[in-house]
Amino acid sequence: MKAKKIWGTTWRHLLLIALSVFWLIPIFWLVLTAFSEKKGIDTAHFIPEKFSLDNFVQLFFRPDTAANFPAWFKNSLVIGIGCCIISSLFVLMVSYAFSCMRFKGRKALMSFSIILGMFPGVLSMIAIYFVLKMFGLTNSTLGLIIVYSGASGLGFLICKGFFDTIPASLRESAKLEGASELTTFVKIVIPLSKPMIVYTVINSFLAPWMDFVMARLMITSKDPKEWTVAIGLFNLLQKTLASSYFGVFCAGGCIVAIPISILFVIMQKFYVEGITGGSVKG
Amino acid sequence: MKKLLNKIGKYFADFGKAVAKGDIWTKLSLVIMGAGYIGRKQIVKGILMTIVEACVILFTTGVTWPFISKLNTLGTVQREEIFDPLTFESTVNDYDNSLLILLYGIVGIIVIAAFILLYIKNIKNQYALQKQKEEGKHINTFREDVKELINGKFHITLLTLPSLGVIVINVIPIIFMICIAFTNYDDKHMPPTYLFSWVGWKNFKSLFTNSISVSFGYTFPRILCWTLIWAVVATFTCFIGGILLAQLINHRWVKAKKLWRSLFVITIAIPQFVTLLLVRRMFADAGIVNTFCSHVGITQFLKDIGLLASNYSYIPFLSAKGWAHVMIILINIWVGVPYQMLIATGILMNIPEDQLEAARIDGASNRQIFWKVKMPYIMFIMGPSLVTSIIANINNFNVIYLLTQNYTTLDASLANSHAKETDLLITWLFSLTKDYSNYKMASVIGIMTFIICAVITLLSYTRMIKGDKEEVFQ
Repeated sequence: MKAKKIWGTTWRHLLLIALSVFWLIPIFWLVLTAFSEKKGIDTAHFIPEKFSLDNFVQLFFRPDTAANFPAWFKNSLVIGIGCCIISSLFVLMVSYAFSCMRFKGRKALMSFSIILGMFPGVLSMIAIYFVLKMFGLTNSTLGLIIVYSGASGLGFLICKGFFDTIPASLRESAKLEGASELTTFVKIVIPLSKPMIVYTVINSFLAPWMDFVMARLMITSKDPKEWTVAIGLFNLLQKTLASSYFGVFCAGGCIVAIPISILFVIMQKFYVEGITGGSVKG
Repeated sequence: MKKLLNKIGKYFADFGKAVAKGDIWTKLSLVIMGAGYIGRKQIVKGILMTIVEACVILFTTGVTWPFISKLNTLGTVQREEIFDPLTFESTVNDYDNSLLILLYGIVGIIVIAAFILLYIKNIKNQYALQKQKEEGKHINTFREDVKELINGKFHITLLTLPSLGVIVINVIPIIFMICIAFTNYDDKHMPPTYLFSWVGWKNFKSLFTNSISVSFGYTFPRILCWTLIWAVVATFTCFIGGILLAQLINHRWVKAKKLWRSLFVITIAIPQFVTLLLVRRMFADAGIVNTFCSHVGITQFLKDIGLLASNYSYIPFLSAKGWAHVMIILINIWVGVPYQMLIATGILMNIPEDQLEAARIDGASNRQIFWKVKMPYIMFIMGPSLVTSIIANINNFNVIYLLTQNYTTLDASLANSHAKETDLLITWLFSLTKDYSNYKMASVIGIMTFIICAVITLLSYTRMIKGDKEEVFQ
């Protein structure tokens, strides 16, 4: 029995070490290249020959016509914050209406939104561009905020599933005490759905950092100052730039990962609860 | 179906009744929408309603009507520039822009449709008010109406803004693109210089024709096939991989569970497009992995066993078919497993301990517990989300697009319709619009993608749309 345990423990740990090495190789490469002295891609050495901080210095203090990281970071941050406020509000509002209220046409509306959600996003991108152009909102942060968060109301399924698990008796007793629906929403349901709010906030905050297709369509400006981190970094790997900016790209990738990792680490607990809590309903 | 017809019939019958039996105020609201409210002392509501009516009429006649009236032809006057040699200035005639006609036309029609609904609802409300007055019931003041908006009618307050967003960002673009599928909008018919017009089902037909000039009929089934294979394989490999990894980390003999979990989660923290672009560079034809492989001798070994043609000096990880397909799925496992592992961990931890205990007392082995207790529980929770992720993978743009940017197809028929072997429907659609401005075919492909997604969802999901289980936990 004891031998079996030692053997079982050993192979499990060995397997985990092997897997995590495999999973972390690209990450190591990213970090190592970021600290490398070379600007282009070093295909001969995994570990760079000479280390330097120059890539980071260039990233932050020497913005040029190709790379203007401080401006990108600011744009993405503004868009991220705007998005997460609007998206979270929309999702919570829609979920509450669909989960806790009963009104005519509720099920029809829900089916309709599920069907809408099945249209491929890429299909409507071009049209969204024309619609935004109609309002004169292309090439602006406000336009991107609207694009990312405008339709967020459709993402109510998980959150609604979570609200469905909040006992109805809680709400009913609040109403017996004379609370309006608004009070019930703000004072009872919202405080109970912290994991869900965290989940929505993280997801909507991250969207503008992760997405570059939409951003590339909406922002046609050639001025790097108006780009987001995603477009900027993507642009650095264009064929003509990659040979001299690959190191800077890696440094940028590392820097972007920092705020995201911090969010994840702090909220990992909520995150797991949030996802499963909502999907339990099946 | 009959029920629906009855409902619609009743809807209009109620309206007719309201018009026929309405008193002077109700009838007056047929023209001035707020009149009835003013007649019954709901002054503010009456004024607001009349302002809305005036705005809609002004907007329609002033802005959208010129476009709506041209919707049937999408414009007839082509743009012409006349250069005046005396003033050195060009003058442009008053041309039609098909794109704007379509777009503003759709917006205009939506506004009119919404207004008609509001109009009918308004008359019915007026009639209801009239009845209340006749019966001597209390009529709400403006203040009470507002109060109702945060109470009984709170859903209206909640849903207004999100619906508006969905209409602007989702509904209008979708209607617009569906319309495009029935036009000849492509690189030869680009507004503002040229006009495009309606062509009926022609584009759908050409999606299935295979001739010398049109090879969509050859390309479409191939791309569709790979899309479906990709969606199923990508979903299940990540799903199973995630559960196995979670299972491995959560084993009671494994020390430092949090550390292991965090190691894998790090990969989520770096934005997907950064890692994907990076991995593409790693596996490039002259990339670091190829350097490594040729130094260690793997390249030679693959040649020896015949997996690699001898004229290659490198391993074409992402630049030859077959290789690229396998690599994409492997890289997707790398991307997706940590995320699935997080979710699966959450679920595995929530399995009621008494069930596991009961199984152990009955003498079940670990393997039996996993397959007979844990898996059914996981499937119960994750089943619906599995369907969602198949749909998400059909539409998984990033992985394919970013990894296969350097891939060029050798198949002339595929190249003729601007596709390559590794394309999904969605990336094909994207390159058709972005690089070749072939909007009409892109829209047709988009509609096909939607139909596929809708069929998959409806087949497996009807339970969820009906929502018959939603009150189980309340």
